[in-house]
Amino acid sequence: MQPRISRRTLLGTGAATFGAGAAGLLRPRPAHAQTAVSLQLSWLHSAQFAGSYIALDRGWWFERGLEVSLLPGGPNAPVEPPVVAGSALVGISAADYTAAAVEQGAPFRILGVAMQKNPFVIASLPANPVNEPADLVGKRIGMALANTPVLQALCALNGVDIDGIEVVPTQYSAQPLLAGEVDCLLCWETDLPVAMAMQGVESLTMLMADFGYSVHSQTYIATDDSLANRRDALVALMAGEVRGWAAYREDTDAAAELTLAMHPDAGLDLETQKLQAARQVPLMFSDLTDANGFGWWTDDTVAANIETLGLLGRTVTPDLWDRSILEEVHGA
Amino acid sequence: MTGAVSGRVDIRSGTGRIATGPVPGVLLILAAWEAGGRLLTEAFVLAAPSEVAAYLVQEWALMLRALGATLGNAAAGFAIGNLAAVALAGIALIWPRAERVVTGLALFVFCLPLVATGPILRVFFGPGAGPQIALAALAVYYTTLIPLLVGLRAAPDSWFDLVHSYGRGRLAALVHVRAMAALPYLFAGLQIAAPAAFLGAMVGEFTGAERGMGVLTIRAIRALDVEMTWALATVATAVSILAYLAIGSLARRILLEAPPVILAAPPAAGGHRSAAWVDGMLVLAVALGLWAGAIRVFDLNPFFAKGPGDVFTALVLAPDAADTRAAIGEALAETAVFLLPGYLAGLVAGAGLAVLLVLVPAVAGIAMPLAIALRSVPIVTTAPLVVLLLGRGATGTITLVAVMVFFPTFVACLQGLRQAPGQIMAVLDSYAAGPLTRLVRVRIPAMLPAFFASARMAVPASILAVTVVEWLATGSGIGSLMALSASLSDYDMLWSAVVLVAALSALGYGAVGWAERRVLARYAPEQIA
Repeated sequence: MQPRISRRTLLGTGAATFGAGAAGLLRPRPAHAQTAVSLQLSWLHSAQFAGSYIALDRGWWFERGLEVSLLPGGPNAPVEPPVVAGSALVGISAADYTAAAVEQGAPFRILGVAMQKNPFVIASLPANPVNEPADLVGKRIGMALANTPVLQALCALNGVDIDGIEVVPTQYSAQPLLAGEVDCLLCWETDLPVAMAMQGVESLTMLMADFGYSVHSQTYIATDDSLANRRDALVALMAGEVRGWAAYREDTDAAAELTLAMHPDAGLDLETQKLQAARQVPLMFSDLTDANGFGWWTDDTVAANIETLGLLGRTVTPDLWDRSILEEVHGA
Repeated sequence: MTGAVSGRVDIRSGTGRIATGPVPGVLLILAAWEAGGRLLTEAFVLAAPSEVAAYLVQEWALMLRALGATLGNAAAGFAIGNLAAVALAGIALIWPRAERVVTGLALFVFCLPLVATGPILRVFFGPGAGPQIALAALAVYYTTLIPLLVGLRAAPDSWFDLVHSYGRGRLAALVHVRAMAALPYLFAGLQIAAPAAFLGAMVGEFTGAERGMGVLTIRAIRALDVEMTWALATVATAVSILAYLAIGSLARRILLEAPPVILAAPPAAGGHRSAAWVDGMLVLAVALGLWAGAIRVFDLNPFFAKGPGDVFTALVLAPDAADTRAAIGEALAETAVFLLPGYLAGLVAGAGLAVLLVLVPAVAGIAMPLAIALRSVPIVTTAPLVVLLLGRGATGTITLVAVMVFFPTFVACLQGLRQAPGQIMAVLDSYAAGPLTRLVRVRIPAMLPAFFASARMAVPASILAVTVVEWLATGSGIGSLMALSASLSDYDMLWSAVVLVAALSALGYGAVGWAERRVLARYAPEQIA
């Protein structure tokens, strides 16, 4: 799998990645046999997962004996079943979805946290801005009804009366905001606001994580069984992720270009991907990760997560998070 | 399907002649679309044909690769699904006692909502095109099976007598009589299947695919890329229309005989009621057995694969069973408000337009292209846009359900109207009977078997439509509940909802079948026996 993707990349990107791609092709096979594993992504291919593409493209998994397949997600592709069934070693989930799955009996642990800050924002237009939760009162917010608990949690955390907000059930699109059907949207920092920007519409975003909404996102999950029996593969996989995301942070434009080169059929737009890749950085890297390494968490951040998850109706304990793999990767 | 597409009406049966070709109609539709697109530029919902064309010129390579992927999967699913339908019809024919069990089981499988089957097919097949092909096959086999079964019986007793008088058996009757009689119905089924297969393949890509029209659709809608969205819808529609036309043209080459007079004695009264109940119970038992057995045989993980026992527990025994039932009941009630009006409107519009077309052939020039286009536009591309255009209230959802029901009904009814026996039409000719008399006395009775077959098929189709719209666009009702349950790993809720939806579909189907038997006992008794 790995050499083939490198070859495709080589054809697609030309001179810029020629060295890296060729290195992937020509590198002698490691003495030990390659282990094939899959990483189940949470959405379609995009810069959202560009750190993984870098790890794959530069052979950082290959040299540790892993042959990694990156499985795309989609609107009808929940991450949990393939991880439970073992067809994916690791899945990209989020603390709230993982907590829900664990409540239903899934034996999951969180191995790493790619998005330290939850990407949920309230997006609004400058003429009628939402800068802080109190501004929501008297506004019409467009969102999926399924996300009502998220809004409830934000209101509870900030002492805002949710009855003062008019919830308009909308599909996941910026169109209702632009058409004036709503005053603001509940969406991700990295998708609908980027789409609006690419259409030439300036929007404001209020990051919910800045107002107490602490839910780890883009978390790496694996089963207890894998943690017990496939530790080497997990460590190798996470080590590649850590290296890949470090390279991503150094040059998000190059990461966006690689995303397009590796997925020419995904219909991606380079400028959109560059903007998305750049906007993702503040969510993924913080003083905490600078001090301890990519994917890290502390007892404090876990405690904050448990509190917010409680407001979302999820009861979890700190042992949902297992830092042992990350500690091995970072040599802590 | 004689002349259905070219805007001509069957000349042999003497009702009409070509009035106008489809060209003015297509031009009119394009002009209205262009005007709409220009008016709504600022609303981010509609792209004009000129903008779509510009996009396609620029991105033709990407679109071609996506089309290649989706079309390949759709074609594979189309072939597998239709072969399965022919095989199932064969079983029902060889072993008539099994027919109701076969169709009952086929119905159950057809009623399983995409939202629920997609992720399970993905785990089952792993990465690759498995779920896309499987969902395309699942989308077509039933709409071929039902007309085929009708067609296999649509032959006069005298023909069978003739076969018997030559001392030949059931095989000869099958080859010489039944297969020939079934061909028009088979072709009608295949025409309906073409857009359905494409839609199935696109929805399959929602379970995680590297490329394809479905992948691009999600991307376009998220990115507010209206030109791309409508370009995708246009290409998908064009491909479906071409498939429809190709099958229609094939049918015209093969089907040269005028339909025969079918005179059959009414079935003997009584004796069938108890058999229906027995068959119903048998279907239920076999379905439960297959369900539990499949989970065991394929070793599906109990976290997401719930068996009959799990669902019974979730709905009846569990401490929160009442909450589960209430949640599903509430969602179903929400859905019913959209479903029933949409279903009825689609049936009336489909049958009505077919009748209108026979009475006023000039309408065909504009009605046919619009009708085919409406149904061929993949609902997953347009549902979000239609809901944006018509609002999140009832209108948008009802319209989409009606559109999904309308086209199969229309195709089947048109084909049924053309099944009016040539000899009887000749008799009316000799009495100089007007078109209305022909319609009421001959054509509508001839249409009834096809109409009821499509009304039955439309039950699962309308449920598919309403759940897809709720899932992708409105976020209400049972479609949304199922999607939410899957994302929150509440598989007990998901499977319970699936079972109830399938059971209600089967009940709705049964109700239509009851009405059908009462009507056909009088007008087409050969279908009842």
